[in-house]
Formats: sequence, C-alpha cells, structure tokens
Amino acid sequence: MIKLINLTKTFRGLRAVDGINLEVKEGVCFGFLGPNGAGKTTTIKMMAGVLKPTEGRIIINGSDLAKDPSAAKRCVGFIPDRPFLYEKLSGLEFLHFIAGLYGVDNLPSLGRRISELLELFELSHWQEELIESYSHGMKQRLVMCSALIHRPKALIVDEPMVGLDPKAARLVKDIFREQASQGTTVFMSTHSLEMAEEVCEEIAIIQAGQIIAKGTGEELRHQAGSDGNLEHIFLRLTEGKGLAHERPLSSH
Amino acid sequence: MRDLYLLIRPRFLGFRNQLVLSEGRTRKRAFFMGGLGLAFCVFMFVLCSRVLVYFQSVDVIGDFLARYLLSMILLTFFSLLIFSHIITALSNLYLSKDLELCHSTPVSIEELFVSRALSTLMDGSWMLIIFGVPIFLAYAYVFAPGPGFYIALLHMNIAMVIIAAGIGILVTMILVHIFPAQRTRDIILLLSIFMVVALYIMFRFLRPERLVNPEAFFSVLQYVSALKVTDSPYLPTHWIAETLWGSLTESQGAVHLFEILLTWTTAGAIVVINVWAARAIYFEGFSKSQEAKKRLMGGKQVLDFFIRFVTRPFGGDLTGVIAKDIRTFFRDNTQWSQLLLLAALVVVYVYNFSVLPLDKSPVRLDFLQDGVAFLNMGLAGFVLTAVCTRFVFTAVSAEGEAYWIIRSSPLGFRRYLWGKYLFFLLPMLILGEVLIIVTNYFLDVTGFMMFLSSVTMFLMVSGIVALGIGLGAVYPNFRHQNIAQVSTGFGGVLYMIVSSLFIAIVIVLEAWPGYILFMSNVSGNPVTTYEWLFIIVSFLAALAVNAFAVVKPMRMGGRALQEYE
Repeated sequence: MIKLINLTKTFRGLRAVDGINLEVKEGVCFGFLGPNGAGKTTTIKMMAGVLKPTEGRIIINGSDLAKDPSAAKRCVGFIPDRPFLYEKLSGLEFLHFIAGLYGVDNLPSLGRRISELLELFELSHWQEELIESYSHGMKQRLVMCSALIHRPKALIVDEPMVGLDPKAARLVKDIFREQASQGTTVFMSTHSLEMAEEVCEEIAIIQAGQIIAKGTGEELRHQAGSDGNLEHIFLRLTEGKGLAHERPLSSH
Repeated sequence: MRDLYLLIRPRFLGFRNQLVLSEGRTRKRAFFMGGLGLAFCVFMFVLCSRVLVYFQSVDVIGDFLARYLLSMILLTFFSLLIFSHIITALSNLYLSKDLELCHSTPVSIEELFVSRALSTLMDGSWMLIIFGVPIFLAYAYVFAPGPGFYIALLHMNIAMVIIAAGIGILVTMILVHIFPAQRTRDIILLLSIFMVVALYIMFRFLRPERLVNPEAFFSVLQYVSALKVTDSPYLPTHWIAETLWGSLTESQGAVHLFEILLTWTTAGAIVVINVWAARAIYFEGFSKSQEAKKRLMGGKQVLDFFIRFVTRPFGGDLTGVIAKDIRTFFRDNTQWSQLLLLAALVVVYVYNFSVLPLDKSPVRLDFLQDGVAFLNMGLAGFVLTAVCTRFVFTAVSAEGEAYWIIRSSPLGFRRYLWGKYLFFLLPMLILGEVLIIVTNYFLDVTGFMMFLSSVTMFLMVSGIVALGIGLGAVYPNFRHQNIAQVSTGFGGVLYMIVSSLFIAIVIVLEAWPGYILFMSNVSGNPVTTYEWLFIIVSFLAALAVNAFAVVKPMRMGGRALQEYE
C-alpha cells in the first residue's frame, strides 16, 4: 500500500531524511519511532504531499505521489501534529469543505457519514460552533474526522496523541485498530512507546534520517538482542540518544 | 530593571539575528523595500517643499497657511499615533503568543507592562519617521532655521510619541477591562475603518483643490479660519506647534519654555498614570483575553444562499474552497469592513470626474475628453490594482497555516489557482466596468472611446487579477498574523509595480492608434493603409500583452506552489 524508495530530504545541505526504503502492506498498523529531530515529521510530511522530496519516490496504492499526486492523495487521510484549521468555519462546514476537496461531497451517504464521525469523536454538540472556539483536543478530533471522511486506504498520522485526554486517546487507539482490521493501512509517527507497542503490528526506528531497525516487536527484540519491552529496545537501538542528537532541521 | 532588560532583549536579539543570519534574497528584499521607503521620503520632501514655497509666495496669508498646515499635520499625526498605539497595544499587551510564557515567569507585572509598552511605542511610532521626517525637513529647507529647531523637533516629537502611546495604551487597557480582548480588537478596527472612510469622504467633499485657485481666496480664508477651530491651547499638538513654529521663524534664543515644560510634564504624568493603571487592571484584562471566544453566526441563511448562487458554475472541490473563502471573509470583521474603504474609494473616484472643470480648459473640449478618457483607463487600472493588492494578491496567503489541508488534498495546484482566479474575476470586472463607464459618462466621451475603454478595461482586469493570483502564489505568506499585512510585504509591492507597468504598456499601445483615429475623425482625412497597419499591429500587441499577463503569472504561481516548502 505504501512504498518509500530511497526517500531523501536535504535542508541546506543537511540530510534530514537519508535514503529511506520502506514498504507497508495493506491493513497494517505501522509505527514510526525515533528520537527528537530524527526525521519522523519530515518523512510524514513528504508522504502527505506537503513537502517535496529531494530524491526518491513515494508510491501510495500504486500511484506515484510525484507523477500522479491527485490519485495518490485521494487514497490518503492525513492527520498532522498541529491542527491548524480554518477558524472561521463551523465544524460541520469544515467537514463539508473537506468532503468537497476529496470528491465525496455528492455521495448521498455523506450526511450520515459526517453524523457518524461527529458522534464517534463526541463533537456532535459542537458542530455548529466556529472552530476558533474549539480547544486543542477538539481541533485534533475534528482533524481525525476529516481524515476519515472519504474512507481513505491509508491513514498517515503524525503524533496522534498530542492534546488528547485519556478517554479520547483510548478512542483513537481503538479506531486505528479497527481501521487496520478493515484493510486501511495506518502509518503513524509517535513518541509514545506504549502506544506503538499496543497498536502497531510493525515498527520502524529512524535515527539521523536513516532506518536503523524494522520489523515486528519480536524481530526488534532480536535485532536489539534484548528481551525487554519496547522502551528498552528503543533505548538500546538508539543508544539513549535523544536530545543530544537533535539537530535543527528547518523552520518546519 | 534587570527583568525589564531581559524582557526587551529577545526583540533586539531577533532583530539582530534577522540582519546577521538573513540570506542574500532576504537582504535584497530589505534593500528593495528600504529603497522604496527612501523614494517615498524624497517624494514627500519635494511635495511639501513645493507647497511651502508656494505658500511663501502668497502675500499676507502665506505664513498663516504654513503655520496652520504645521498644526494640521501635528494634529493628524497625533490622532493617527493614538489609533496606531491602541491597535499595537492590543497585540503587544494581550494577544501576543509569547505572553503566556512571560506571565508565567516571576517577573513583576509593572516590568512586564513597561517592556510591552516600550515594544508598543516602537511598533506604533515608526510611521512618524517615514511620514514625518521629510515633512519637517521640508519646513527646515524652506524657513532655514537655526540648530534650535532640530533640537526642538527631536525632543518635542519624542514627547508627542510618549503622550500618544500613553493615551493609546491606557484606552486599550480600559477597553479590554470592559470587553474581551478579541472583541475589543474587532470593535476598534471597525471604528477605525468607519472613521477613515468618513474623514476621507468629508475631506474630498470639502474640495481642497480650491486652495490653489486664486479666485477662491475669499473662501480659502473662511476655510482656514474654520481650521482654527481644530486647534486648542489644551492640546499637546498646540504646544508642540507653538515651539516648532517659534524655533522656525523667531530669532535665536526664543525658547518656548512654558510649552516645552507643559509637553514633557504631560508625557511624564501619562507614563506614571499608565503604570498605576497597569498595576490595577492589566493582569485582569490579560486573564480575560485568554478565555475562549464564542461567537454568534449571524446571517447564516443569507450567506448560504449567496454561496449556493456564486459557486454554481464550479465543481465540488472548488465549491468547497470558494464557500470557505466567502464564509471566512464575511465572518471576520477585519476583512469585510474593508469593503467600506473600497466603496469610499469608488465614490470619491467617480466624484472627482463629476467636478472636473473641463469647460474652463483652453484645449479643445473633444480632444481633452478623449485624452482624459485614456488617462482614466490608466487611473481606473491603478485603482483596481490597489483593490486587487488587498483582496486578490492575498487570496492564496489567506489559507494561512491551514494551507496543509489544500496541499495534502487531491486538488491540483493549477485547478486551485484557476478557481480562485475565476472567483475574483467577475466582481473585479463589474467594478472596473462601472468605474470606466460612469466616469466616461461624466466626461461625455465619444461612442468609439466608450467602446474602446470598456473593451480595454475588460482585458486589463483579466490581466490584473491573474497577476494578483499568480504573484500571490509566487510570494505567499502563510504565517501572517493579519492578512492585510501580506499586501504590504515585498510580494505585494512587487505586484503593484508589475501591474502598473502592465497597465502603462497597454495604455501606450492603444493611445497612439486611438489618436490617429481621433485626428482622422476631426480633420475628415481618411486613415492611410500604413496607418491602418500600424493601428492593427498596435491593438494586436495590446491583446498579446494581455494574454501574456494572464497565462504567465498563473503558470508561475502553479509552479511556485508545487515547489513551496
């Protein structure tokens, strides 16, 4: 479903993402871990079509993102880490706007779909309010509604738990698992090792722009030579390098 | 004091880093904008000098006029400074993103307030330097005063800025104490726009051009005596005007000590009052400004009906984008209220043509009418450029930080840009044609000229709008605090220059063949084959320039958005 081939991004001579090769199959929940400044958000942004790669290709559902961006993007639902939205629209208007962009605004079932999603993310009561009056968590839940509105084949998620309360976080984990069971590929970057361990079937660890380990939890344990939990494996593989290795990438 | 220094420091560090770390392109932009600013200063200096020299040539009332012009300028500056400080104080004291951090530190509220007040003072008064310095230097150039004038100019202006900033900040603190900060910003902006519109229309309808008409001197004297009403001995601007005028015209050593003391004690008092007020109400106001705002969405049904009507010709994806743009525009008080400014601009433009004294001109009337009609095409084009700089050039940047939604959606960049283009084209065409047809009606031009002007305007608007959308996409700013700021940035200025050049080229290409046809009509001599060839080539060239102005910037814009990171 998602294929990254020699994906590279350079910012003023610095290789933020350095020749990544990855393949994620249909219906898999894939965790993308790494210390701060490792290149997670840059990779995610390139996959969502928000950043242009310096080198390499991104194939989503068989469409090359560079050659046929519309076809590739139509299959994707993107959830960024910071939910910048159109503050002067109401939640409902925003969802109709997104439905239009993804060409599902004429579906007779759209109204029902929107109601279901608003109900699911507990936003029904606020749907007529302007987004400017929403809290950070509500905005994040609204973005999730919008990412699911066109029933994407791949969900690309950057730090899904930022700003969510424990109840909403539980809901999001359940939704990701459910989406994956229905055949949607979920590709998410996260700092939460607990979340990755609980939700993801496969995990890749990125450091200094390169994939240093990849596989199921069991395979990672084997690669790290550790029997511990994911936190232990992560620290072992990255040699505890977090902030010490952080580099300023760009203004993004 | 150490905390105050620490609080102000990041601003200077940021400024220094911007200068030191900026890349070649940013520096070039800074030089370009600096050059434009300097050119504007020179223009103001020359204009003001010429007015003052003219006043000096007028017997009896020359000095009187110069003295009252100085009073008017100071009064205008003072009022503008107060308004400007009210607006900047709102951002600096209540809405700035770093305030949460500052308020969470153990810094005293007084020091925090003073640091923010100093930032407000700097942000709100730079305008005085750009506009004021060339005007005051023009006074110095014409009256050749001693060094006392320059000293007085410096310290009295500093005092004026402190007083205006103090009043502005105090008014803001009181308003935010009563209303939430967000609502206060809207109220103030709306009031400012109403005030500017009213002043602009009132000033125009006073017909100040009569000031240069010797036949109207009787009415000028009435006019000037009416102006005297605006000056009051209780106003700081009166004390400053007295001091400056004294050092300009009186003998050396004539120091207006009383006025200087009045000004500076007022400035000192206003600073003390502000600190007292801040201690009492600033934090409470800041706390209120953090509360979430809940707004009513008035006129939703009307807006929905309008959107359904406007978006009918567009596809689902573009309908969404256009509907979103319309809703955002009409729900943001700072946006739709600028339509009032636009309406005032159009009214005054049309009014100017209705009072043109063409019959008093020594030039043949029909010749003059057609000449002015060509000039009118250019002027209407410039008016449209100004309007497009604010509304069309900013269309792409208006997505703001939510641009990731468009970028990650399957909507193609070219389709997105052409959608925006078509959306703006119709209202701009209506505006352009109304301007040109109504003013040509007042000019009573020939049928041929009316036809040529209408067609030219139709084509020019297509180019002006495409340039706005295209260059807006080449120079987007998605991280703006206020969309109006985007139009005054580098891209906005460049758009105005390029669009003005485009208009000038089209007018030049049409003016000469227009003249040949007009002369042939007047003299009764038929147009020669060679002249016909020249006319056809000229009109075709104008058409080609228009087509180029539509296609090229749109392509550049599409490519730039694709490359944008």
